Amino acid sequence: MKYPEPISKLIDSYMMLPGIGRKTATRMAFFTLGMEKDQVQEFADNLISAKTDLKSCKICGNITTEEICPICSDKSRDQSTILVVEQAKDIMSLDDMNGYNGLYHVLGGVLSPVDGIGPEDLNIKLLLNRLKQNQAVKELIIATNATPEGEATAQYLAKLVKPAGIKVTRLAHGLAVGSDIEYADEMTLKSAVLGRREI
Amino acid sequence: MFVKELKLQNYRNYESLDVNFSPAINVFLGENAQGKTNLLEAMYFLALTRSHRTSNDKDLIKWGSEFARISGTVIKDNSSRLKLDLVISKSGKKAKLNNLEQRKLSSYIGNLNVVLFSPEDLSIVKGNPGIRRKFIDMEFGQMSAQYLKTMSQFRSVLKQRNAYLKKLQHHQAKDMIYLDVLSDQFSAYCAEVVFSRLQFLQKLQTHIEKIHANITEDNEKLKIVYNTFFSTDGKSLENIYDTFKDNFKKNYQREIQRGVTLFGPHRDDIKFLVNEKNVQDFGSQGQQRSVALSLKLAEVELIKDQVGDYPILLLDDVLSELDHKRQTHLLSSIKKGIQTFITTTSIDDVDPELVKDPNILNITNGKVQQEEI
Repeated sequence: MKYPEPISKLIDSYMMLPGIGRKTATRMAFFTLGMEKDQVQEFADNLISAKTDLKSCKICGNITTEEICPICSDKSRDQSTILVVEQAKDIMSLDDMNGYNGLYHVLGGVLSPVDGIGPEDLNIKLLLNRLKQNQAVKELIIATNATPEGEATAQYLAKLVKPAGIKVTRLAHGLAVGSDIEYADEMTLKSAVLGRREI
Repeated sequence: MFVKELKLQNYRNYESLDVNFSPAINVFLGENAQGKTNLLEAMYFLALTRSHRTSNDKDLIKWGSEFARISGTVIKDNSSRLKLDLVISKSGKKAKLNNLEQRKLSSYIGNLNVVLFSPEDLSIVKGNPGIRRKFIDMEFGQMSAQYLKTMSQFRSVLKQRNAYLKKLQHHQAKDMIYLDVLSDQFSAYCAEVVFSRLQFLQKLQTHIEKIHANITEDNEKLKIVYNTFFSTDGKSLENIYDTFKDNFKKNYQREIQRGVTLFGPHRDDIKFLVNEKNVQDFGSQGQQRSVALSLKLAEVELIKDQVGDYPILLLDDVLSELDHKRQTHLLSSIKKGIQTFITTTSIDDVDPELVKDPNILNITNGKVQQEEI
């Protein structure tokens, strides 16, 4: 039997979300039917609002409701370091740790010719202009993921920025905090040994 | 190690099968096209998640079924049991170790080691370089999960570099700094792959030389040589990395023109020298056959060295192909207590002197029957 059109359309919509298959989507759709009308209205409004009211920050590319995001406008932050991330959501993880008080820059992805993403598709120009205009920046910390693509993107940025005399660093890879050496795979161990530090 | 039990579901011409094996010699006896080789293939697939006959996994699913399942119970030398499970469906395959799903196949492969002897082994010596590369990658892969991981990253970096060279070729990109970055990164993976291949080949060499001398009654000295665009003799990992890096720098224009990566392990080859002569070009058919046999026998010993236990042997229709002398050499390996599976149409092909008390399984049309002794 086929579902009536309104619900089958709703199921199709839920299926657009990552990690949601038909069964889960159907469950979600029927759950939605059982919700209060104003709850559903709020849900729909939130979807629209996330798409229309959010912009990307003119300086760093982070998501924000203003022209300039709260991090960039916060003058109490350390203006001499910029931490470069792939996605805006990475900022949330990094800023919640309370171990970094500098600025951020969102690339919006990593270089990947296979997916047709080249330097011009990322916020790289924005970053270079930012460095040119703001001479206070002394260090660029690159926090792209530890994938081959993330690594190549980091190397690329380093090659562009280093000639300007800015220190470029990369997040350490290796043993996870609280983990046992016994359970680490060979590649992780290798990068942990390569990235060792003096104590 | 040995396979104690094999279960199949919707696999090739087997709708459902549950069979127990002897830890010594098992003979699959039956007419042609009854499913003897399918059983060997199932065990090969259970070990390596790839078939030696087809590159399309869907071929393994019984006609009209949605999925195929292969499971096996393996007993390791310390008598621990390991349950391997593979489900092949149209959307891919899932692997389980002791009922625990493995996210990456590289953590699954290598738990059951197999060496297959088949009439097609000759093509490793005679055939094109691609066959030899596939052979070394498969075999080194089942000995080292690290090698499998490096290979898979190597392939993804190669893909990226090729995609970018294509863009440069079609003038859709012009950033040479990015090509530098990709080339340096690729060089590091090339060096890693070439270096591990050299290490494995060196170990293989010590075994193959001895075995081949034995087979040829000391008439032939067999040497395996890794063949790339530079001499790898005595080179360290750093040396190899630098050689690749410099070489790419020199050949940017050529590579951009062709839009593809022209150097690297994906283009390398191995050569078999018998008494200093390349057996592929100068060897007789008989010599080539002996080299192929020595190679497989050396692999058996190398696996024993690397993983600490002998692999299981799968002999696909080879006994009728080998003369008595070579058969003796092959079967003398079995004497070491290695679990062996032999397919044959007639038990007469198997020398009763060499194969004692085999567990004979009659195969008819996807059904297996244990012979009463």
